[in-house]
Amino acid sequence: MIDPIHQFNIDKLFTIGHIGNQEIAFTNSSAYMVVSVALISLLMIGAGRQLVPGRFQSMAEISYEFVANTIRSNAGAEGMKFFPLIFSLFMFICVSNMIGIIPYTFTISSHIIVTAALALLVFFTVLVYGFYKNGLKFFNLFVPSGIPIYILPLVVLIEIISFFSRPISHSVRLFANMLAGHITLKVFASFVTMLGAMGIAGWAGAVLPLGLTVALTALELLVAFLQAYVFTILTCIYINDAIHPGH
Amino acid sequence: MARGFRLSSELVAGVVVGALIGWGFDRLLSTSPFGLIVFFLLGFAAGVLNVIRSAGVAPDRTGR
Repeated sequence: MIDPIHQFNIDKLFTIGHIGNQEIAFTNSSAYMVVSVALISLLMIGAGRQLVPGRFQSMAEISYEFVANTIRSNAGAEGMKFFPLIFSLFMFICVSNMIGIIPYTFTISSHIIVTAALALLVFFTVLVYGFYKNGLKFFNLFVPSGIPIYILPLVVLIEIISFFSRPISHSVRLFANMLAGHITLKVFASFVTMLGAMGIAGWAGAVLPLGLTVALTALELLVAFLQAYVFTILTCIYINDAIHPGH
Repeated sequence: MARGFRLSSELVAGVVVGALIGWGFDRLLSTSPFGLIVFFLLGFAAGVLNVIRSAGVAPDRTGR
């Protein structure tokens, strides 16, 4: 039986140093993060600046336009201040998810600590920028307009809990999608080898899970992009709250 | 599947945060178990609010 969880193992490649007694190790996860960043840098820096774009320049320009349009439609023109942050998040998640689809590779966002770190980065950006830009008016975010005074305390409490639940749902969504997708893929792929060991009849039966594995890979490719996009849209919506609280 | 994860994570996140706040409230003020009960229910309400918002049934507060 092939272990479907084994693909998420973290292995230490080498040790960078120590902080206190805590070892700072360079793991396979860090290696794939470096590879993702290198690929993005290669695409964005090495794309060229011709008037008539080539293939790679087109890809770079399309990804810029795509993220810029997402920000403008969700957070308004003022949201473009956060373009570097949002573009980095989108490209990092999208490219690392795409790398994860390739067999034998490691998927960074299948670990909740990674997605939680990204979501908390967005959360604290919203919090710090919201207070910096609006001062105490940022608390208007928790007070919806047109609510009768006698249920206001209850609504404010619910709004505050809803606000603090954002980083959790933001991170769990990306993590759960990638984890579940990769486990499903692995389970169906292991059916192929298990049936294949049963001789001629098994080979005929193995065609079914093999076809399903191919179909699931296509679906996972869609999910990998879609989850990066959903993460980006939510980031834009949260940043919109920091720019214009209390509508 | 993506939509299911999206909505369920919203609901679970609300309940978890509500329960955590209630538990912390009880720890600090030793009002156990009333803080947990009250904030758990409030968290459930917040989770339902999150689901309704992200499903797009109610108009988004951001006026998007």
